[in-house]
Amino acid sequence: MWIWADVAPEGVVSSAFELLTKARAIGSDVGAVALGPGAAGAADRLGEHGAARVYTSDDERLAEPTSRVAAHTLAALVAEHSPGIVLFPSSYRGRDVAGRLQAITGSTLMANAVDLPSIDRARAEILGGTTIVEVDLAGPSPHLVLMRPRSFEPEAVGGTAEVVTVDIVEPPGRATVVQVVEQTEAAADGPSLDGAKVVLAGGRGLGGPDGFRLLEELGDAIGDTAIGASRAAVDAGWVPYAMQIGQTGSTVKPEVYLAAGISGALQHAVGMKGSRRIVAITKDPEAPILKLADLGVVGDLFQVLPSLTEEVRRRTGR
Amino acid sequence: MDIAVLVKWVPEPQGTPTLGPDHLLVREGADGALDPGDEYGLERALQLVERDGGEVTVVSMGPEVAVAAVQRGLAMGAGRGVLVTDDALRGADTLVSARVLAATIGPIGADLVVAAVESTDGYTGTLPITVAELLGLPSVTFATSVDIVDGSHLRAERQTAAGAEVVSSPLPTLVTVTTGVAEPRYPSLKGVMAAKSKPLDRPSLADLGLGADDVRPSQTVASVEAAPVKAGGRVIEAGPETAAEIADLLAEARVI
Amino acid sequence: MVLAWRRASPRIATLRAARPDDPERGGPTAERAARELVEVIGQRKLFQRLVPGMMHAAIFWGFVVLLPTIAEAATAIVDPHAHLPLIGDTAWFGWLVDVFAVAVLVGVVTAVAIRKVQRPDRFRGSHLEEADRILLMITAIVISLLLWQAMRIALGLTGAEGPVSGWLGDLVDGASTGALEAAERGLVWAHLLLVLAFLVYLPGSKHLHIVTAAPNVWLRKSGPGGRLEPLRIDLEAPEEDLRLGAAVATDLTKKQTLDLFSCTECGRCQDVCPAWTTGKPLSPKLLVMDLRDHVAAGTAGQTGEIELQPLVPNAVTDEVVWDCVTCGACVRECPVDIEHVDTIVDLRRNLVMAESRFPSEAGALLRGVEGPGENPWGQPASARMDWAEGLDVRVLAPGDAAPDVLFWVGCAGAFDERAREATRSTVRLLQAAGVDVAVLGQRESCTGDPARRMGHEYLFQTLAEGNVSTLNDAGVTTIVASCAHCFNTLANEYPDYGGTYEVVHHSEFLARLVQEGGLHPSRDSVAVTYHDACYLGRHNGNYDAPRDVLGATTGEIAEMPRNRERSFCCGAGGARFWMEEGGDARINETRYEEAASTGADVVATACPFCLVMLDDASSAAGAGPEVADVATLLARSTLPKG
Repeated sequence: MWIWADVAPEGVVSSAFELLTKARAIGSDVGAVALGPGAAGAADRLGEHGAARVYTSDDERLAEPTSRVAAHTLAALVAEHSPGIVLFPSSYRGRDVAGRLQAITGSTLMANAVDLPSIDRARAEILGGTTIVEVDLAGPSPHLVLMRPRSFEPEAVGGTAEVVTVDIVEPPGRATVVQVVEQTEAAADGPSLDGAKVVLAGGRGLGGPDGFRLLEELGDAIGDTAIGASRAAVDAGWVPYAMQIGQTGSTVKPEVYLAAGISGALQHAVGMKGSRRIVAITKDPEAPILKLADLGVVGDLFQVLPSLTEEVRRRTGR
Repeated sequence: MDIAVLVKWVPEPQGTPTLGPDHLLVREGADGALDPGDEYGLERALQLVERDGGEVTVVSMGPEVAVAAVQRGLAMGAGRGVLVTDDALRGADTLVSARVLAATIGPIGADLVVAAVESTDGYTGTLPITVAELLGLPSVTFATSVDIVDGSHLRAERQTAAGAEVVSSPLPTLVTVTTGVAEPRYPSLKGVMAAKSKPLDRPSLADLGLGADDVRPSQTVASVEAAPVKAGGRVIEAGPETAAEIADLLAEARVI
Repeated sequence: MVLAWRRASPRIATLRAARPDDPERGGPTAERAARELVEVIGQRKLFQRLVPGMMHAAIFWGFVVLLPTIAEAATAIVDPHAHLPLIGDTAWFGWLVDVFAVAVLVGVVTAVAIRKVQRPDRFRGSHLEEADRILLMITAIVISLLLWQAMRIALGLTGAEGPVSGWLGDLVDGASTGALEAAERGLVWAHLLLVLAFLVYLPGSKHLHIVTAAPNVWLRKSGPGGRLEPLRIDLEAPEEDLRLGAAVATDLTKKQTLDLFSCTECGRCQDVCPAWTTGKPLSPKLLVMDLRDHVAAGTAGQTGEIELQPLVPNAVTDEVVWDCVTCGACVRECPVDIEHVDTIVDLRRNLVMAESRFPSEAGALLRGVEGPGENPWGQPASARMDWAEGLDVRVLAPGDAAPDVLFWVGCAGAFDERAREATRSTVRLLQAAGVDVAVLGQRESCTGDPARRMGHEYLFQTLAEGNVSTLNDAGVTTIVASCAHCFNTLANEYPDYGGTYEVVHHSEFLARLVQEGGLHPSRDSVAVTYHDACYLGRHNGNYDAPRDVLGATTGEIAEMPRNRERSFCCGAGGARFWMEEGGDARINETRYEEAASTGADVVATACPFCLVMLDDASSAAGAGPEVADVATLLARSTLPKG
């Protein structure tokens, strides 16, 4: 069993630890593949979380945006060592590498898995989270499985991994270089409404543009959060139209949608009711959004939001 | 500037699709439409050929009802449509679909292949890049803006784990786009009428050079069960425990 | 005369080039004649404003009466002794002429006072200098007439003497015969030349209305104002035969073109337009004037060739076309029966169907209606009965026997949280009264009203045909609708598509039930005001039924200043519910303020769109009366809690 470890210059991404923990639950002798700048330092931590072996390369070319180099390098490793399964995180890089690898090896690929009963079986939630399916995986090795984030709790078990440095493999055919022309850090705008795990949205109840600062602080504490708004707040000129969620505006399906000071009229609801979990904070006990929410709080958001931010900071240590 | 756009017909984009007795998504007989997510890429492609010349071809694989998705693409302004439909493709997994689509796109000789980041019903998000690999194309995924420069390069801004980056890729290449990359046009009635006389090819698997082995899925659904119904929402009065309760929910959702 | 003809012929050519109307449009001859009598002769619509009405009536009636004197003057040019047969020489005719001549002058003075002293806002954008010229000419014509009569009287040429002309005659009596004869000749020529100059000026000015107004009234659409004339679209037809609305001047119908030539720039429409009065660029008057100028410019100096530039944006901007809420207040006010709304919808039809050019937010509406759910909210059809949770409502399945009453829920009533309360109340009341009622459930699709008002006539046609098919197959004969828009479309527009049913608005049905004893409300004594929905009131003449319902439950209604046929729209009509709003103020908030100013605690509505718009306004205002449907209010005082 292998796992793909996402690496960044700062080090290995924690999704790798979750995957390792799961892989170890199924079999021993778990290998980890860490390809890309920053992989060098990863071996120790991967070993701590249960990797028996780490295949690694720091080569700069692995960072190129198409993931062709990474995929072909991984394909060569797979051909040499024949793992039965490779687990990937559902990250930008993970999906790209897994997708390309599938074409090279002709393996089956299962996405959005939440659990792995065995090497040959994966479990996923489909149809907007209403249905759970168990899927038999067949076809040539390795099976490729993309796991949803935070499906497992990572567990450090101590241990060291054998480190195997590998050479990269260039993809066949003509060399097409996709260049990165410029890069921007997430700091400025944060994840877009589209991909954020958590969306915090503010409405008329925030009383003005300043109210959105409360949401921003909460977002910083939670992480991977985007800030949205109801039409009322956009119409009032407090925030730009790009943040509008609703029938006119964006539709979002985050893991958690928190609505503060939003009544939840149909116009807005159509844009967010696909969210996995909905929290609503409003002072109006009759607000329609309370019917949509998994957890509805009737109260003063100017009290609830700061105290929630504090509580989240306390728990996550941010 | 020839652009191939991958489109999918999805059942009940607004509602909840259902699984049939064979554990496969019910597609025939269900009301559906062109996947709303595909319209963004299609719109951008149409804008590019309107500006630089060339033609957009919409390509789809699905049951017979999926022709509606192709027709919508034609009504919006695509020049040609291709639909691959065959009983053997029922229950196709992403690899089979990618093989079929790659075999369909190959002959078109497109400079650019456009797809949505993920489909509304399956949301695996890997199919387009598998197609890219099968065609030997570079790829740019999660593009939030797309442009063609000098007729030879794709310039795109894309989302990454770290934030965002601007990349330049020589053509031909494949790009997957997020919603919002363009505002999709609403096809005019004239467009709908014109669509009827545009070429719509229906190649068979044999035409595409695919045999039974190529289209055999390697995944089967073993069991289906309803997810535990979310305990109906609770409504609480704000109090000293509220922050903890919400934080518990966040933790349970694994966002903190 | 030749000059006049030359100036008139481009207008005539334009009319010739315009599209023909449905010949049945104006209704049966008797109805049209009655309209002419009441509106033209009786000046009814002008009297909607008293003083300007009197002013115009004086000038108009005066003009009618004085018309024969022009004939007399024309013959007198040749023979100074000429008279009109029978009446020309009589004293009573002289009196008549004098009285009406004075009336005209009084009218002119009043008009000047209104224009120069009062300066009402409705004239903003109008060509005031033109009006001044007309008034001047009228004055000159009348005065020259009186003076000429005076000369004739002094010379003994006529016995038609009235108080004024007689008095003037006495004034000049002392002058020499030669001088009088010269003056008489001079004045008759002056009078005639003024009239002819007037005639020449006419075709190029807004005063052309004196010729076009009567025909315009004759051609006005008969039947409820809410009905739009169908535009049949057959996609299989050859493309040249396809009509998709009004793109260029020749796409306008003869009536629509005549509309443009009839406008007097009075601005009454402008004054009542909800868009204009809340700071949007749309003014019905300016729209008509701009279209007229565009159409006229295309024919200036040419005979027959019409300049074919697109009307939007060359004559009017896109924004102006989309600002309209189709409330019909303008049509109601217009003294010459211009039908602004029909023209605006025709412009929209072209923009949407041929050019796909419309506010992008409205795309969601079209996609939703066109998509599997067939409703503007894009909700799945499976959710259409969610409102009925906890209620035992019969859903009509295919093959079931038709119910006595089919309750048409409508999309707003099914999907909007607030509107659902009215839906539930209505059904509960009907059931309490023992009515055999059923709903179509998932088989209901949008009636197509928003698509049609937006201009997507083809989508409307598809929906109408589908719904008619469903209703006819089910054998439905009576429909009750709680939405004013659904009501209007089902009652007035579906017959054009083969669907004829007895359609009753829920307010009327409930009022009947109360009156016949099927429901027994208790008096709640709540201070209430009622907002007349445009599509129920102005477009369909139903003002009383909701008031009857309220009368039985809440008691006396504190009426708003603008009520009944003068009601001010909530702002949702014309598919604007789904569009962003600009301008200085919001239409719904403006109306809500008016409602609040009555001091009422509750604003009653009879349409879910009015309900949502006014409720939004109430949230924006933070405080103010509650907004509730008449059915909800009736249910509160009739049914046990639940």
